[in-house]
This record gives sequence, C-alpha cells and structure tokens, in this order.
Amino acid sequence: MKENNFEPRIIAFMCNWCAYGAADLAGVSRMEYPSNIRPIRVMCSATVSPHHILRTFQSGADGVLVGG
Amino acid sequence: MTQHPRYVDMDKCIACGLCAEKCPKKVPDAYDGNLSKRKAIYVQYAQAVPLKYVIDPEQCIYFKKGKCKACEKLCPSHAIKFDDQERELTLKVGAVVLAQGSRAFDPAVHDTFGYTKHPNIVTSLEFERILSASGPYGGHLVRPSDKKEPEKIAWLQCIGSRDEHLGAKGYCSGVCCTYAIKEAMLAKEHSSGDLDTAIFYIDIRTYGKDFERYYNRAKDDGVRFVKSKITHIAPVDGTGRHMIRHVDASGRRVEEAFDIVVLSVGLMVGREGAELAQRLGVDLNHYNFAETGSFEPVASSKPGIYVCGAFQAPKDIPSSVIDSSAAAGVVGSQLAEARWSLTKTESVPEEIDLKGKPSRVGVFVCRCGTNIAGVVDVPAVVEFAKGLPGVVFVEENLFSCSQDTQDKMTQVIKEHQLNRVVVAACTPKTHEPLFQETLINAGINKYLFEMANIRNQCSWVHKDDPEKATKKAKDLVKMAVSKAALLEPLTESTMAVNHSALVIGGGVAGMTAAKILSDQGYHTFLIEKTDTLGGQARYLHETWRGEDIQGYLAGLIHSVQSDRNIDVFLNSQITQVDGFIGNFKTTLTTNGQSSVLEHGVTLIASGASELKPDQYLYGKDSRVVTGLELQQRFIDNDPALESLNTAVFIQCVGSRIPERPYCSRVCCTQSIKSALELKKINPKMNVFVLYRDMRAYGLREDLYRQARSEGIAFIRMDMDKELTVAVDREDLKVTFADRVLGRSMEILPDLLILASAIVPDAKNPLAQLYKVSLNDDGFFAEAHVKLRPVDFATDGIFVCGLAHAPKSLDESITQAQAAAARAVTVLAMENIKMGGIVSHIIPERCSGCMGCINVCPFGAITFDQQKFVAKVNPALCKGCGACSAACPSEAPALMGFDNNQLYAQIKGALSG
Repeated sequence: MKENNFEPRIIAFMCNWCAYGAADLAGVSRMEYPSNIRPIRVMCSATVSPHHILRTFQSGADGVLVGG
Repeated sequence: MTQHPRYVDMDKCIACGLCAEKCPKKVPDAYDGNLSKRKAIYVQYAQAVPLKYVIDPEQCIYFKKGKCKACEKLCPSHAIKFDDQERELTLKVGAVVLAQGSRAFDPAVHDTFGYTKHPNIVTSLEFERILSASGPYGGHLVRPSDKKEPEKIAWLQCIGSRDEHLGAKGYCSGVCCTYAIKEAMLAKEHSSGDLDTAIFYIDIRTYGKDFERYYNRAKDDGVRFVKSKITHIAPVDGTGRHMIRHVDASGRRVEEAFDIVVLSVGLMVGREGAELAQRLGVDLNHYNFAETGSFEPVASSKPGIYVCGAFQAPKDIPSSVIDSSAAAGVVGSQLAEARWSLTKTESVPEEIDLKGKPSRVGVFVCRCGTNIAGVVDVPAVVEFAKGLPGVVFVEENLFSCSQDTQDKMTQVIKEHQLNRVVVAACTPKTHEPLFQETLINAGINKYLFEMANIRNQCSWVHKDDPEKATKKAKDLVKMAVSKAALLEPLTESTMAVNHSALVIGGGVAGMTAAKILSDQGYHTFLIEKTDTLGGQARYLHETWRGEDIQGYLAGLIHSVQSDRNIDVFLNSQITQVDGFIGNFKTTLTTNGQSSVLEHGVTLIASGASELKPDQYLYGKDSRVVTGLELQQRFIDNDPALESLNTAVFIQCVGSRIPERPYCSRVCCTQSIKSALELKKINPKMNVFVLYRDMRAYGLREDLYRQARSEGIAFIRMDMDKELTVAVDREDLKVTFADRVLGRSMEILPDLLILASAIVPDAKNPLAQLYKVSLNDDGFFAEAHVKLRPVDFATDGIFVCGLAHAPKSLDESITQAQAAAARAVTVLAMENIKMGGIVSHIIPERCSGCMGCINVCPFGAITFDQQKFVAKVNPALCKGCGACSAACPSEAPALMGFDNNQLYAQIKGALSG
C-alpha cells in the first residue's frame, strides 16, 4: 500500500443518547466528513470495554472512536 | 384556539430539506441572532421536534408576489399546501396551564450602548449562537465584524434588569450571572489563545444548587469578576473594539478595550404574553408576571388556571421544570376523577412463536425520495444485500415511512415469513419505533429489527462522494444484517404496582406532597422523626411577600391530620428498606415498635436545618442570634425588639466558605425581610447588613430596593480581611473591612443577627437505605440537575424540599407538588413493564467480584449471597450496559446489544 493512498478503516462506537444523536444532527445540518467511519450504536459508551476495542483492532480496524 | 397555517402538511413532510435548499428567498435567521441566513421555508432549529418544515408567509415570494412555488415543484412527498388555512379549535378541558415563558430584553429599543450600530456588541443569546457548533460561525469563536479571533471579551451584567430606567425592569432576572459565567468558561475553552474574559457585575448571584461551586471554578480558571456597573461603552476607532471604563478593587480608574462586548440581557414577559393572560382573566403583577402567592405557587388568580416557568417570575431551567411538574400535580389533584376516562386500548395481533425456526432476514432499502438515492446507488445496495447470508428478501422503497409502504411491508413480512427485518433508511433515533410498530402488526417480536443509518450518517454527510457513500451504505447494511441474524426475541413482562406512597419528612415539603398524593386518591404514609409536624416552617414568621406562615402551617397540619388517606407516623425512624419501584417494603420503628409499610413509591423530604454557628460569640453572648432565632422573636411579638438602637446582620455565616462552598440561597432575602421588620417595629433603629453579594434574586429585588430606600445600610465587606465580634466594656463590637472605603470599620450593635447556613443532616441514613446518592455538600443528588430535578437515578424514588438543596418556602412547596406529580406517574400505572433492552447476568460466568454492582448507576444489580452471583433487577435496569463493560468475564449480556451481536457488526464492517 502506498503511503498517500492509505485510507484508515475506523469503527466508531457511539452512545445512543449523545454521540449517535450528534452524528444524526451532523446529517441534518449537512456537515461533510470523510466516509471512513463505520458507526456502531451502543446504549451507553460505558458498554464499550477494552475487549471490544481490542477485538475491533484484531478484526482489522485502523482506528477506534468511542463517542459518549 | 387559533392554529396558524404552516403551509406544509405535517404528515407528508419528511424533512429532507430539498425545499429549503432550492428556495430562492434568503432572510436573516432570528434563531441565530440574525448573524446568519435561513430560507423562507425552514425549520426553526436543527433539533426542532417534530422535524417538519414551515413556510414564513411574511417572506415567501409566492405569498408576496404571487409566483415561485419552487418548493411545491420540488417536494418529493407533495407536502406543500399553499392553500393551508387558519383553523379554529375548541377543546373541552378541566384546567389550563399557562407555560408561555418569557422573552429576552431587547437592548435595541433604547439603545444606550450602540448595540444596533456595532456588530461586536452582542447579546448573551447571540453569543450563545456564536459558541454553538450549529451556529453562524460553526462554533469558531470570532468577532462578528471581521471574523477574527477575539483576545478580550467583556460581559456586562444586569442589562435591562435591576434597573429602573426607561424600558428596563426593576427586578433581577435570576439567570444571567450563571449563564455569563458559563459563556465565559465556554469561550475560554473555544479559544485557541489565552482569552481574557471579564464579567462586570453588581452582585454575583450564583444562588442555585452547585452554582457557587461553578463560580469558584471560574475564578480559579482565570475569569475576571469586576464589581462595576457599566453604563457606557465607547468604540475605539478602526479597531472594532470598545473601551470600558471602570474602577478597580483598589479604587483606581481603569480603561480597557474589548474585542467583543456581551450584553447579559434579562428576561421579561412580552406584550403578547401579557395580552393572553389578560384575555384569560389572570391577574398580572406590576412587571406583567402572573400574580401568584407563596403557598400556592403555581395557581393563578383565576381558579382552574395555573402557571409555570418564567411567566410566573424570571427563573432558570431547573426551576421551570420543577414548576411544570408542580402544575401537573396540582391539576392532577383537581381532575383526579377524570383519570383514564378518555383512554383507549389498542388491539395488538398475537406474536408468532419463532422457537426453533431459522432466521429469515428481510431487507428494505429506502430511497427517501432523492435524499438517499440522490447520492447512494440504491439498486446497487439492493443487489449487494441479496447476496448476504441469511437474507431471503430485499426490496427498495421510495419512502419507507409512508403509511402505504408500512402496510405493504406488513404484508411482505407475512407472505415471505420474514422473522428478522433490516430497514436501511434514516435513523433509529426517530424511526425505530415506527418500524417496530410494523413488526408488531405483522406478528413479529419488535426486537427482531435493526436499522442501517444510510441517510443521516451516510448520504447527507458524503454527498460529494457517491462512490464511497455507496460503499459505506453497503457496509452499513452488511453490519445490520450480521447483527439481525443473531437477534433474539425479547420479552417484556409486567409486575403489579402497589398504589400507596411513602413520604419521609413531616415538614411543609413532605406534607404538601402527601396532600397532593392523597387528593389524587393514593393512600400515603407520612413519616416524621420528631414528635411534631411542621419542620423548619415552625420557626418562620412571614414569607418574603409578607404572608403569615404560622397561620398557613396550622391549616396545612390540620388538613394532613384530618385526611383519612394519610397515615401519619411521628417519632419514627426507618431501619430497613427492601424492594424497588412499584413494590417497596420499608421497616420503621415508632416509639420502639417495629412495623413494615408496603408502598409503590418513596418521596424523600427529610429536610435540612440551620447551622448553629461556633463563631462571632454565638452561644456566649445573648445579643448574638441566628436568622431563625430572630424570626422566632417576630412570631412571639418580643417587646424587647422595640427598644433596640442598632442591629447588624452578618451574611454568609457558614456559607460560601471553603469547608461549605455553597450558597444557602434564602439568607439574603430573609435578612432583608427581617431588617425591614425591625425598621417597622422601631423606625429609628439603625440597621446594617454586612454582605458579600446581596442575592435578592428574581422579584425579591423589589424588597431589597425597598430596604435601601427605608434607610437600611448594606455594606459590602471584604471577606479576605478579618471580621471580628468582641465585647468591649459591655458593648458588642463588630469590626470588619469595608470593601468600598477600603478601611476597617466598627459598629456597636445591641443585636447581632448571624445569617447562618442551611446544613443537611450529617447522619442521614436514607441515602444508604434507599441507595440514592448525595452531592459533595451532603444534599441529595437528583437524576439530572436540569431535566429531572425531583427524580433520583433509581426509579420510584423522588426528592423535594431542603433535603435537595437550600430553598425558600414557596420553592419547597413547588418542588413537593412536583415530586408528588412525578410519583403519580408511577402510582397511576396498574403494572410496570420490565425487560426489553436490559442486562442479564449469566450466572455460570459470574465470579462474584461485584464490579458490576459498583458501576451500575441505577442500583439495579444485587448480590445473591447464597449462589454468590450478581443479579439484575429488570424493573430498574435501563440497559446502559455499564455492567457488561466492567465485567472481566463477560458475564452480563445486554439484551439486543450483546457481545456476539457487537462482534458480528464489527466483522461485517471490516470484512469487505
């Protein structure tokens, strides 16, 4: 892979009550951002354990974002 | 009632925003303080509920010139209705609640600061928008004139408040001090440099719960507080800055130029608000707020009409929310007989048993008109979905949420025997309940549903890159399908609710709550640890409005004692608590006898008391008394008060000090009231009040003004310097540092009143017994300061009165009415629903470490000593999953969000 073509694959765990809602609002406001993020809705960011984050990296993610 | 036309059919509008995108008419956006533009067809703000567009007929080109109709041509769901008409509605109701709120003071009307001329002078509401990520500058802190980052910002307090000049209001708006501090703190956070923030004030009135702590934090973070009433600001030519002249702490004249000047505007009742009240026959006070009394704080002058929020007096969000629940509680008492009389029951088809059946996933991909299909290649997503494992049916819809599509989906689910449904469309936040309804109608468990958010989080945010948006949409569908295949039906069970209430504390708050509950038909146990009802109100003479408290209290006690629905337990202590919402069992000891009470809800109104000071010769010299002790002398008509020559009040005794860093809220007003009372008894008396900030918030400011006009001397003392009380040859001598004169002063009073702090019960066992939390000051901590001010995080338990925080009698009554109303929301249910998305601890995996019990914010997990495992109570669990993250052995599974489902989603996202 060439350095300049690198596109990270990012998994975002997002709290249903805040970060997920904020991401929806970004849509309503038509803000644009890169499409590399794959959001996963969780009921609270506290649900996301180190297990989940490590499992995500193991599965091939280049980055993990926990929004809550 | 008149309902104005909105020219958009609410049932058809899908809020795609195409209309506003193409509308040719731009107008200043009042929501953004006119700092940005909106269109003639618009939504007022992004979070608006319901999210539906509206046409502004004052601006629309079609309404003004007779042609355009661009929105009508473009609207994919044909929602535009130019022939919409005004409608007259007649509703038959038993009570009316006026919650019409207030308006911000407009500094443009009598423009003394040049607000209309200079863009860098903004109101505090405009500054809120400047700070907002959805505001005119995307949350970047810049000056309106040239979009440069500011280095210095000033806030001018009391704009339009505490001011009797033309157009301004004499009262304190009660909210501006705290919001100005918040804005200064946020501005510092937003600023990339070292932003200088200065708040110019008369008194800092951070009297709300935990607000003093925030004020202290702001001082520590470098927000400057300058005591100076600024009346004039001058532009500095060519710089966009404004010069503020003030006098600093050492008495020097100082000139400073600021990049932005924020006018901290107050709250007022607008003309329309006053007119509506007058049409309804509701009395208004001299400021146009609704006239109310202290003992019935949400009742207007007209029977059957109630008021709440900032239309009653200027107030903040927590107080307004408490008011609104209180109004609901009082109305509920009036209309108790009508409860359930208009309720209809819905019939639901029986759920198909899926046990042992393989999963058959159906995928519905929504085009949302062009909202999704305009960016994402929907047919490609459909083709892709067909190839995913477990998928047996895929279809695309123009609008998945329309009623005809819903009916069609119900049919398709039945025909193809689908038992897992994925909808790729907008967001579950708004549409999950709708699609779950479709599943229920098709006889499928509603938890066998998953959404892929390909609009809000895909097509709307990646519209310039259709290829990548399509790839993302495919991945999102794949993730949803992977999870859906693993979904299991979740059941909700019910549990009967005990319809009795327990109120702890026989003060005014407890008794008021008990009365509301009893009036609504619920049997109530009222527990008091002493041998008398009445609490702190027994020591109070008059309210700040001058109403007689003892007469009111006697009436309230009588009505509680004669109420057959209320069982009063005096001399009682709670020793043990079992159970939870709907089914509590509380054991109490009354005069040595033990009894068990069964109840569905618990209200904690256990109060607080006045600090007995250990300084200023209190308890050593009989001329030194506390605020409440003086009240008692008023109640007793003590003749000795007539012969006093000099009285001195010392404020903040025990409050706003490092060991007790909160404001006791009521003492300023009580001292003002008492000082006036002393003046009334003996007009020749010299009365001094030594203070730090006089916090006569809201309409209480009138009383403060009256006190000053009657010759009561308010002296601002310097807290950094010593304040001493000594006996000098029989005379009591108060020595203090005067802040204004900058020198030490002495007064020889013959009565010294210490405005002593309100302190919570140091050994209150209730927090532990009911597993609810206390804040750092020892007062009970509500679930959410603003939105759930009388609830605890643990369901079925509520708080009111002084146990929650220091507050005045009228505020305690309001909060008690609110807590009772919230409790009724539980008591009125026949059954409580449990289950759905809750946690379940797999006992085989649990090692009994209790880590989950410590992290559960809702007290929902208990420990089974016999089996040595933790257990979740589904009636209390909110499904946050904190337990599952805390557990080292993955024993708790959050139903509907368990680890396997999560891992399937992760794999789905990364395997393509």
